[in-house]
Amino acid sequence: MIKFQDVRKTYRLKGVTKTILKSVSTCFPEGKNIGILGHNGAGKSTFMRLIAGAELPDSGRIKRNVKVSWPLGFGGGFAGKMTGIENVRFVARMYGEDTERMIDFVEDFSELGPSMALPIQTYSSGMKARLAFGVSMAVNFECYLIDEITAVGDARFKRKCDDIFETKLKHANIIMISHSEATIKKLCDSACLLHEGELTMYDSVDEALAQHRKNQLK
Amino acid sequence: MDGVITTQVRVIGALVLRETRTAFGDTQLGYLWAIVNPALSTLVLVLIFSSLGRSPAFGTSFALFFATGILPFQTYSKLSNSLMTAINTSRGLLSYPLVNETDILLSKYILIVLTYLMIIILFFWLIIWGDEAPLPVRVEECASAFLVLTLLGLGAGTTNAVLFRLWPTWKQLESIISRPLFFLSAIFYVPDDFPTHVVKVLSWNPVLHGIEWFREGYYGNYHSSVLSKSYLITCVTILLVLGFFGERLYRKKSI
Repeated sequence: MIKFQDVRKTYRLKGVTKTILKSVSTCFPEGKNIGILGHNGAGKSTFMRLIAGAELPDSGRIKRNVKVSWPLGFGGGFAGKMTGIENVRFVARMYGEDTERMIDFVEDFSELGPSMALPIQTYSSGMKARLAFGVSMAVNFECYLIDEITAVGDARFKRKCDDIFETKLKHANIIMISHSEATIKKLCDSACLLHEGELTMYDSVDEALAQHRKNQLK
Repeated sequence: MDGVITTQVRVIGALVLRETRTAFGDTQLGYLWAIVNPALSTLVLVLIFSSLGRSPAFGTSFALFFATGILPFQTYSKLSNSLMTAINTSRGLLSYPLVNETDILLSKYILIVLTYLMIIILFFWLIIWGDEAPLPVRVEECASAFLVLTLLGLGAGTTNAVLFRLWPTWKQLESIISRPLFFLSAIFYVPDDFPTHVVKVLSWNPVLHGIEWFREGYYGNYHSSVLSKSYLITCVTILLVLGFFGERLYRKKSI
Protein backbone atom coordinates (compact mmCIF):
# COMPACT_ATOMS: atom_id res chain seq x y z
CA MET A 1 0.00 0.00 0.00
CA ILE A 2 1.24 3.46 -0.82
CA LYS A 3 -0.24 6.31 1.14
CA PHE A 4 -0.03 10.04 0.43
CA GLN A 5 -0.76 12.36 3.35
CA ASP A 6 -1.17 16.05 2.54
CA VAL A 7 1.56 15.88 -0.04
CA ARG A 8 2.47 19.15 -1.65
CA LYS A 9 4.96 19.52 -4.44
CA THR A 10 5.94 22.67 -6.27
CA TYR A 11 8.81 23.71 -8.47
CA ARG A 12 10.35 27.12 -8.55
CA LEU A 13 12.56 27.69 -11.53
CA LYS A 14 13.69 31.09 -12.71
CA GLY A 15 10.93 32.80 -10.79
CA VAL A 16 8.19 30.60 -12.22
CA THR A 17 6.33 28.52 -9.68
CA LYS A 18 4.71 25.35 -10.89
CA THR A 19 2.38 23.41 -8.66
CA ILE A 20 2.40 19.69 -9.29
CA LEU A 21 0.39 18.60 -6.27
CA LYS A 22 -1.52 20.86 -3.94
CA SER A 23 -2.09 18.95 -0.75
CA VAL A 24 -2.93 15.51 -2.04
CA SER A 25 -4.09 12.75 0.28
CA THR A 26 -4.74 9.43 -1.33
CA CYS A 27 -4.06 5.77 -1.04
CA PHE A 28 -2.97 3.25 -3.64
CA PRO A 29 -4.43 -0.01 -2.40
CA GLU A 30 -2.45 -3.22 -2.58
CA GLY A 31 -3.41 -5.69 -5.27
CA LYS A 32 -4.56 -3.11 -7.79
CA ASN A 33 -2.99 -1.99 -11.01
CA ILE A 34 -3.38 1.71 -11.41
CA GLY A 35 -3.08 3.97 -14.41
CA ILE A 36 -2.12 7.63 -14.08
CA LEU A 37 -3.77 10.01 -16.51
CA GLY A 38 -3.14 13.67 -17.15
CA HIS A 39 -2.19 16.30 -19.69
CA ASN A 40 1.31 16.70 -21.00
CA GLY A 41 3.20 18.61 -18.35
CA ALA A 42 0.63 17.97 -15.64
CA GLY A 43 3.42 16.44 -13.56
CA LYS A 44 2.75 12.74 -14.01
CA SER A 45 6.43 11.83 -14.11
CA THR A 46 7.18 13.93 -11.05
CA PHE A 47 4.27 12.27 -9.31
CA MET A 48 5.79 8.93 -10.16
CA ARG A 49 9.18 9.95 -8.82
CA LEU A 50 7.44 10.94 -5.60
CA ILE A 51 5.84 7.49 -5.41
CA ALA A 52 9.24 5.90 -5.99
CA GLY A 53 10.90 8.06 -3.38
CA ALA A 54 13.36 9.43 -5.90
CA GLU A 55 12.12 12.89 -5.07
CA LEU A 56 10.90 14.45 -1.85
CA PRO A 57 7.69 16.44 -1.39
CA ASP A 58 7.69 20.04 -0.16
CA SER A 59 5.49 18.96 2.72
CA GLY A 60 3.42 15.98 3.74
CA ARG A 61 4.34 12.32 3.96
CA ILE A 62 4.44 9.39 1.61
CA LYS A 63 4.33 5.97 3.22
CA ARG A 64 4.99 2.73 1.38
CA ASN A 65 5.09 -0.76 2.75
CA VAL A 66 5.88 -2.49 -0.51
CA LYS A 67 9.13 -2.75 -2.44
CA VAL A 68 8.67 -0.16 -5.18
CA SER A 69 10.78 -0.09 -8.34
CA TRP A 70 12.43 2.98 -9.79
CA PRO A 71 10.38 4.69 -12.52
CA LEU A 72 10.96 2.26 -15.29
CA GLY A 73 11.24 3.18 -18.87
CA PHE A 74 14.29 5.32 -19.10
CA GLY A 75 17.93 4.55 -18.44
CA GLY A 76 18.61 7.76 -16.59
CA GLY A 77 20.81 5.97 -14.12
CA PHE A 78 22.98 4.26 -16.69
CA ALA A 79 26.53 5.45 -17.20
CA GLY A 80 27.45 5.82 -20.87
CA LYS A 81 31.07 4.87 -20.39
CA MET A 82 30.21 1.64 -18.63
CA THR A 83 29.34 -1.50 -20.53
CA GLY A 84 25.93 -3.11 -20.39
CA ILE A 85 27.26 -5.79 -18.06
CA GLU A 86 28.81 -3.24 -15.72
CA ASN A 87 25.58 -1.29 -15.54
CA VAL A 88 23.67 -4.44 -14.70
CA ARG A 89 26.23 -5.36 -12.08
CA PHE A 90 25.83 -1.94 -10.46
CA VAL A 91 22.08 -2.30 -10.10
CA ALA A 92 22.47 -5.87 -8.84
CA ARG A 93 24.95 -4.80 -6.18
CA MET A 94 22.77 -1.91 -5.14
CA TYR A 95 19.70 -4.07 -4.68
CA GLY A 96 21.68 -6.91 -3.13
CA GLU A 97 20.80 -9.31 -5.95
CA ASP A 98 23.03 -12.08 -7.21
CA THR A 99 25.07 -10.32 -9.91
CA GLU A 100 25.70 -13.33 -12.13
CA ARG A 101 22.07 -14.44 -12.06
CA MET A 102 21.00 -10.95 -12.98
CA ILE A 103 23.49 -10.65 -15.85
CA ASP A 104 22.28 -14.00 -17.21
CA PHE A 105 18.68 -12.89 -16.97
CA VAL A 106 19.26 -9.54 -18.68
CA GLU A 107 21.45 -11.08 -21.37
CA ASP A 108 18.77 -13.59 -22.13
CA PHE A 109 15.91 -11.16 -21.96
CA SER A 110 17.31 -8.15 -23.78
CA GLU A 111 18.90 -10.20 -26.58
CA LEU A 112 21.77 -7.74 -26.77
CA GLY A 113 24.29 -10.53 -27.29
CA PRO A 114 27.92 -9.37 -27.56
CA SER A 115 26.80 -5.74 -27.23
CA MET A 116 26.44 -6.37 -23.51
CA ALA A 117 30.23 -6.03 -23.29
CA LEU A 118 30.24 -2.65 -25.04
CA PRO A 119 29.86 0.80 -23.47
CA ILE A 120 26.26 1.99 -23.33
CA GLN A 121 27.09 5.16 -25.25
CA THR A 122 27.44 3.00 -28.37
CA TYR A 123 23.87 1.66 -28.00
CA SER A 124 20.91 2.78 -30.03
CA SER A 125 17.97 4.11 -28.04
CA GLY A 126 16.10 0.87 -28.66
CA MET A 127 18.97 -1.19 -27.28
CA LYS A 128 19.19 1.05 -24.24
CA ALA A 129 15.50 0.67 -23.59
CA ARG A 130 15.76 -3.11 -23.88
CA LEU A 131 18.58 -3.14 -21.38
CA ALA A 132 16.69 -0.85 -19.00
CA PHE A 133 13.61 -2.98 -19.26
CA GLY A 134 15.56 -6.18 -18.71
CA VAL A 135 17.31 -4.79 -15.66
CA SER A 136 14.11 -3.72 -13.97
CA MET A 137 12.44 -7.04 -14.73
CA ALA A 138 15.39 -8.86 -13.18
CA VAL A 139 14.72 -7.37 -9.75
CA ASN A 140 11.70 -8.69 -7.95
CA PHE A 141 9.62 -5.73 -6.90
CA GLU A 142 6.17 -5.74 -5.40
CA CYS A 143 5.17 -2.68 -7.31
CA TYR A 144 6.53 -1.66 -10.71
CA LEU A 145 6.37 1.96 -11.76
CA ILE A 146 6.13 2.30 -15.49
CA ASP A 147 6.54 5.62 -17.21
CA GLU A 148 5.34 5.35 -20.80
CA ILE A 149 7.15 2.22 -21.87
CA THR A 150 5.05 1.03 -24.73
CA ALA A 151 7.39 1.73 -27.58
CA VAL A 152 10.31 -0.56 -26.77
CA GLY A 153 11.68 -2.60 -29.59
CA ASP A 154 10.04 -4.46 -32.43
CA ALA A 155 6.87 -6.55 -32.41
CA ARG A 156 8.67 -9.68 -31.24
CA PHE A 157 10.27 -7.92 -28.31
CA LYS A 158 6.97 -6.31 -27.40
CA ARG A 159 5.40 -9.75 -27.20
CA LYS A 160 8.20 -10.85 -24.94
CA CYS A 161 7.57 -7.85 -22.70
CA ASP A 162 3.87 -8.63 -22.55
CA ASP A 163 4.64 -12.21 -21.58
CA ILE A 164 6.96 -11.32 -18.75
CA PHE A 165 4.53 -8.68 -17.60
CA GLU A 166 1.85 -11.24 -17.33
CA THR A 167 3.98 -13.49 -15.13
CA LYS A 168 5.13 -10.54 -13.03
CA LEU A 169 1.59 -9.32 -12.54
CA LYS A 170 0.70 -12.56 -10.75
CA HIS A 171 2.85 -11.53 -7.78
CA ALA A 172 3.24 -7.81 -8.26
CA ASN A 173 1.32 -4.71 -9.21
CA ILE A 174 1.96 -1.83 -11.49
CA ILE A 175 1.37 1.86 -11.44
CA MET A 176 1.70 3.19 -14.93
CA ILE A 177 1.66 6.36 -16.98
CA SER A 178 0.49 5.95 -20.52
CA HIS A 179 -1.10 8.03 -23.20
CA SER A 180 -2.44 4.89 -24.80
CA GLU A 181 -5.99 4.24 -23.68
CA ALA A 182 -5.73 0.68 -24.93
CA THR A 183 -2.70 -0.09 -22.72
CA ILE A 184 -4.34 1.41 -19.66
CA LYS A 185 -7.54 -0.48 -20.29
CA LYS A 186 -5.66 -3.72 -20.79
CA LEU A 187 -3.37 -3.60 -17.77
CA CYS A 188 -5.07 -1.44 -15.15
CA ASP A 189 -8.10 -2.05 -13.00
CA SER A 190 -8.41 1.47 -11.71
CA ALA A 191 -7.04 4.86 -12.58
CA CYS A 192 -6.29 8.27 -11.17
CA LEU A 193 -6.36 11.60 -12.89
CA LEU A 194 -3.87 14.36 -12.24
CA HIS A 195 -5.34 17.68 -13.22
CA GLU A 196 -4.27 21.17 -12.13
CA GLY A 197 -2.62 19.94 -8.95
CA GLU A 198 -5.56 17.80 -7.88
CA LEU A 199 -5.53 14.04 -7.90
CA THR A 200 -8.77 12.13 -8.28
CA MET A 201 -9.04 8.37 -7.87
CA TYR A 202 -11.52 6.43 -9.99
CA ASP A 203 -12.53 2.85 -9.34
CA SER A 204 -13.36 2.38 -12.96
CA VAL A 205 -10.85 3.02 -15.69
CA ASP A 206 -13.58 4.01 -18.13
CA GLU A 207 -14.87 6.71 -15.85
CA ALA A 208 -11.36 8.15 -15.46
CA LEU A 209 -10.76 8.05 -19.20
CA ALA A 210 -14.06 9.80 -19.83
CA GLN A 211 -13.16 12.59 -17.42
CA HIS A 212 -9.69 12.82 -18.91
CA ARG A 213 -11.15 13.25 -22.38
CA LYS A 214 -13.51 15.91 -21.10
CA ASN A 215 -10.58 17.82 -19.52
CA GLN A 216 -8.68 17.78 -22.76
CA LEU A 217 -11.54 19.32 -24.66
CA LYS A 218 -11.60 22.35 -22.38
CA MET B 1 13.34 -5.71 3.70
CA ASP B 2 16.75 -5.48 5.28
CA GLY B 3 17.94 -2.77 7.60
CA VAL B 4 18.46 0.79 6.51
CA ILE B 5 22.16 0.72 7.39
CA THR B 6 22.97 -2.46 5.45
CA THR B 7 21.13 -1.06 2.44
CA GLN B 8 23.08 2.20 2.60
CA VAL B 9 26.38 0.36 2.97
CA ARG B 10 25.50 -1.79 -0.02
CA VAL B 11 24.46 1.22 -2.10
CA ILE B 12 27.60 3.18 -1.23
CA GLY B 13 29.74 0.14 -2.06
CA ALA B 14 28.03 -0.21 -5.42
CA LEU B 15 28.52 3.51 -6.10
CA VAL B 16 32.22 3.40 -5.25
CA LEU B 17 32.80 0.50 -7.64
CA ARG B 18 30.72 2.22 -10.30
CA GLU B 19 32.73 5.39 -9.98
CA THR B 20 36.00 3.57 -10.66
CA ARG B 21 34.52 2.50 -13.99
CA THR B 22 32.96 5.78 -15.02
CA ALA B 23 36.01 7.90 -14.29
CA PHE B 24 38.53 6.00 -16.41
CA GLY B 25 36.47 3.20 -17.90
CA ASP B 26 37.41 3.88 -21.49
CA THR B 27 41.18 3.86 -21.06
CA GLN B 28 43.45 0.91 -20.69
CA LEU B 29 44.60 0.28 -17.10
CA GLY B 30 41.37 2.05 -16.13
CA TYR B 31 41.34 3.38 -12.63
CA LEU B 32 45.09 2.92 -12.14
CA TRP B 33 45.48 6.24 -13.97
CA ALA B 34 43.76 8.02 -11.13
CA ILE B 35 46.65 6.90 -8.94
CA VAL B 36 49.54 7.01 -11.38
CA ASN B 37 48.73 10.38 -12.89
CA PRO B 38 48.97 12.62 -9.78
CA ALA B 39 51.90 10.62 -8.41
CA LEU B 40 53.90 11.05 -11.59
CA SER B 41 53.00 14.70 -12.11
CA THR B 42 54.15 15.45 -8.57
CA LEU B 43 57.36 13.59 -9.35
CA VAL B 44 57.90 15.74 -12.42
CA LEU B 45 57.40 18.91 -10.36
CA VAL B 46 59.92 17.65 -7.81
CA LEU B 47 62.46 16.86 -10.53
CA ILE B 48 62.05 20.31 -12.10
CA PHE B 49 62.46 22.11 -8.79
CA SER B 50 65.41 19.98 -7.68
CA SER B 51 67.19 20.47 -10.99
CA LEU B 52 66.80 24.21 -10.50
CA GLY B 53 68.82 23.69 -7.37
CA ARG B 54 66.10 24.63 -4.95
CA SER B 55 66.94 23.67 -1.44
CA PRO B 56 64.17 22.58 0.91
CA ALA B 57 62.89 24.96 3.55
CA PHE B 58 63.33 22.17 6.05
CA GLY B 59 65.42 18.99 6.14
CA THR B 60 67.75 17.87 3.39
CA SER B 61 65.40 16.49 0.76
CA PHE B 62 63.39 18.82 -1.40
CA ALA B 63 61.30 15.91 -2.67
CA LEU B 64 60.29 14.93 0.84
CA PHE B 65 59.49 18.46 1.97
CA PHE B 66 57.46 19.20 -1.12
CA ALA B 67 55.62 15.87 -0.98
CA THR B 68 54.62 16.31 2.66
CA GLY B 69 52.99 19.57 1.58
CA ILE B 70 51.56 19.00 -1.86
CA LEU B 71 50.05 15.54 -1.43
CA PRO B 72 47.90 16.30 1.64
CA PHE B 73 46.97 19.58 -0.04
CA GLN B 74 45.87 17.86 -3.24
CA THR B 75 43.78 15.41 -1.25
CA TYR B 76 41.95 18.30 0.35
CA SER B 77 41.45 20.34 -2.80
CA LYS B 78 40.38 17.35 -4.88
CA LEU B 79 37.70 16.55 -2.30
CA SER B 80 36.42 20.07 -1.89
CA ASN B 81 36.26 20.43 -5.66
CA SER B 82 34.81 17.12 -6.81
CA LEU B 83 32.19 16.93 -4.10
CA MET B 84 30.85 20.32 -5.12
CA THR B 85 29.65 19.03 -8.49
CA ALA B 86 29.31 15.33 -7.60
CA ILE B 87 25.54 15.44 -7.22
CA ASN B 88 25.09 17.33 -10.43
CA THR B 89 27.18 14.98 -12.52
CA SER B 90 25.46 11.93 -11.04
CA ARG B 91 21.95 13.33 -11.20
CA GLY B 92 20.69 10.38 -13.21
CA LEU B 93 21.46 8.08 -10.31
CA LEU B 94 18.92 9.85 -8.14
CA SER B 95 16.19 8.22 -10.19
CA TYR B 96 17.00 5.07 -8.22
CA PRO B 97 15.00 5.50 -5.04
CA LEU B 98 17.73 3.75 -3.06
CA VAL B 99 20.27 6.43 -3.90
CA ASN B 100 20.18 9.76 -2.16
CA GLU B 101 22.50 12.76 -2.25
CA THR B 102 24.42 11.73 0.85
CA ASP B 103 25.27 8.36 -0.71
CA ILE B 104 26.71 10.06 -3.77
CA LEU B 105 28.81 12.41 -1.63
CA LEU B 106 30.05 9.66 0.69
CA SER B 107 30.91 7.25 -2.10
CA LYS B 108 32.88 9.93 -3.87
CA TYR B 109 34.62 10.79 -0.59
CA ILE B 110 35.58 7.17 0.03
CA LEU B 111 36.93 6.71 -3.47
CA ILE B 112 38.99 9.92 -3.45
CA VAL B 113 40.41 9.18 0.01
CA LEU B 114 41.41 5.65 -1.00
CA THR B 115 42.91 6.93 -4.24
CA TYR B 116 44.99 9.60 -2.54
CA LEU B 117 46.03 7.18 0.16
CA MET B 118 47.45 4.98 -2.58
CA ILE B 119 49.11 7.98 -4.25
CA ILE B 120 50.73 9.01 -0.98
CA ILE B 121 51.93 5.49 -0.23
CA LEU B 122 53.23 5.07 -3.78
CA PHE B 123 54.99 8.41 -3.78
CA PHE B 124 56.65 8.06 -0.39
CA TRP B 125 57.62 4.50 -1.22
CA LEU B 126 59.29 5.86 -4.37
CA ILE B 127 61.32 8.50 -2.58
CA ILE B 128 62.20 6.23 0.34
CA TRP B 129 63.23 3.50 -2.06
CA GLY B 130 65.25 6.09 -4.03
CA ASP B 131 67.04 6.91 -0.77
CA GLU B 132 65.76 10.46 -0.84
CA ALA B 133 63.93 10.24 2.45
CA PRO B 134 63.78 8.30 5.71
CA LEU B 135 60.71 6.45 6.92
CA PRO B 136 58.12 8.62 8.68
CA VAL B 137 58.91 8.99 12.37
CA ARG B 138 55.35 8.91 13.68
CA VAL B 139 53.12 7.27 11.13
CA GLU B 140 50.07 7.52 13.37
CA GLU B 141 50.40 11.32 13.45
CA CYS B 142 50.64 11.43 9.65
CA ALA B 143 47.59 9.21 9.40
CA SER B 144 45.60 11.38 11.81
CA ALA B 145 46.58 14.55 9.97
CA PHE B 146 45.59 12.94 6.67
CA LEU B 147 42.26 11.75 8.04
CA VAL B 148 41.39 15.14 9.50
CA LEU B 149 42.35 16.85 6.25
CA THR B 150 40.08 14.50 4.31
CA LEU B 151 37.26 15.35 6.71
CA LEU B 152 38.01 19.03 6.12
CA GLY B 153 37.69 18.30 2.40
CA LEU B 154 34.43 16.45 2.99
CA GLY B 155 33.03 19.37 4.99
CA ALA B 156 34.19 21.98 2.48
CA GLY B 157 33.00 19.85 -0.44
CA THR B 158 29.50 19.26 0.92
CA THR B 159 29.18 22.91 1.92
CA ASN B 160 30.27 23.82 -1.61
CA ALA B 161 27.71 21.40 -3.00
CA VAL B 162 24.92 23.09 -1.05
CA LEU B 163 26.03 26.58 -2.09
CA PHE B 164 26.42 25.44 -5.68
CA ARG B 165 22.89 24.07 -5.71
CA LEU B 166 21.40 27.25 -4.29
CA TRP B 167 23.54 29.48 -6.43
CA PRO B 168 25.32 27.99 -9.46
CA THR B 169 27.63 30.99 -9.81
CA TRP B 170 29.29 29.77 -6.63
CA LYS B 171 31.36 27.31 -8.66
CA GLN B 172 33.16 30.17 -10.42
CA LEU B 173 33.61 32.17 -7.22
CA GLU B 174 34.89 29.16 -5.33
CA SER B 175 37.62 28.55 -7.85
CA ILE B 176 38.74 32.18 -7.52
CA ILE B 177 38.65 32.04 -3.73
CA SER B 178 40.46 28.74 -3.44
CA ARG B 179 43.21 29.38 -5.95
CA PRO B 180 45.45 31.31 -3.50
CA LEU B 181 45.18 28.37 -1.08
CA PHE B 182 48.07 26.78 -2.94
CA PHE B 183 50.29 29.62 -1.79
CA LEU B 184 48.75 29.97 1.65
CA SER B 185 49.06 26.36 2.75
CA ALA B 186 52.78 26.06 3.56
CA ILE B 187 53.41 23.71 0.67
CA PHE B 188 56.88 24.99 -0.20
CA TYR B 189 57.83 26.99 2.86
CA VAL B 190 57.89 26.80 6.63
CA PRO B 191 55.41 29.32 8.08
CA ASP B 192 57.58 29.90 11.15
CA ASP B 193 60.21 31.45 8.87
CA PHE B 194 57.90 34.41 8.27
CA PRO B 195 57.40 37.44 10.53
CA THR B 196 54.65 37.04 13.13
CA HIS B 197 52.12 39.29 11.43
CA VAL B 198 52.32 37.14 8.29
CA VAL B 199 52.03 33.97 10.34
CA LYS B 200 48.97 35.40 12.01
CA VAL B 201 47.23 35.80 8.67
CA LEU B 202 48.34 32.38 7.43
CA SER B 203 47.12 30.67 10.56
CA TRP B 204 43.52 31.35 9.58
CA ASN B 205 43.87 28.77 6.85
CA PRO B 206 42.84 25.37 8.24
CA VAL B 207 44.59 23.47 5.44
CA LEU B 208 47.92 24.86 6.61
CA HIS B 209 47.34 23.36 10.05
CA GLY B 210 46.71 19.97 8.49
CA ILE B 211 49.96 20.14 6.54
CA GLU B 212 51.93 21.30 9.56
CA TRP B 213 50.50 18.39 11.51
CA PHE B 214 51.45 15.96 8.76
CA ARG B 215 55.01 17.32 8.73
CA GLU B 216 55.38 17.11 12.50
CA GLY B 217 54.42 13.48 12.19
CA TYR B 218 56.73 12.71 9.30
CA TYR B 219 59.85 14.50 10.43
CA GLY B 220 59.74 14.04 14.17
CA ASN B 221 62.05 17.02 14.68
CA TYR B 222 59.78 19.50 12.89
CA HIS B 223 58.19 21.78 15.47
CA SER B 224 55.45 24.09 14.37
CA SER B 225 54.51 27.01 16.57
CA VAL B 226 51.53 27.73 14.32
CA LEU B 227 49.86 24.33 14.54
CA SER B 228 46.61 24.26 16.46
CA LYS B 229 44.86 20.94 16.15
CA SER B 230 41.86 22.23 18.02
CA TYR B 231 41.43 25.07 15.51
CA LEU B 232 41.60 22.63 12.63
CA ILE B 233 39.11 20.26 14.23
CA THR B 234 36.75 23.14 14.99
CA CYS B 235 36.82 24.14 11.32
CA VAL B 236 36.18 20.54 10.28
CA THR B 237 33.20 20.26 12.64
CA ILE B 238 31.66 23.54 11.51
CA LEU B 239 31.99 22.67 7.82
CA LEU B 240 30.64 19.14 8.26
CA VAL B 241 27.63 20.41 10.19
CA LEU B 242 26.99 23.19 7.66
CA GLY B 243 27.40 20.85 4.72
CA PHE B 244 25.28 17.96 5.89
CA PHE B 245 22.54 20.03 7.51
CA GLY B 246 22.38 22.25 4.46
CA GLU B 247 22.24 19.21 2.22
CA ARG B 248 19.36 17.78 4.24
CA LEU B 249 17.57 21.11 4.29
CA TYR B 250 17.76 21.81 0.59
CA ARG B 251 17.65 18.27 -0.75
CA LYS B 252 14.07 18.42 -1.94
CA LYS B 253 14.82 21.45 -4.07
CA SER B 254 16.69 19.26 -6.51
CA ILE B 255 15.34 19.42 -10.00
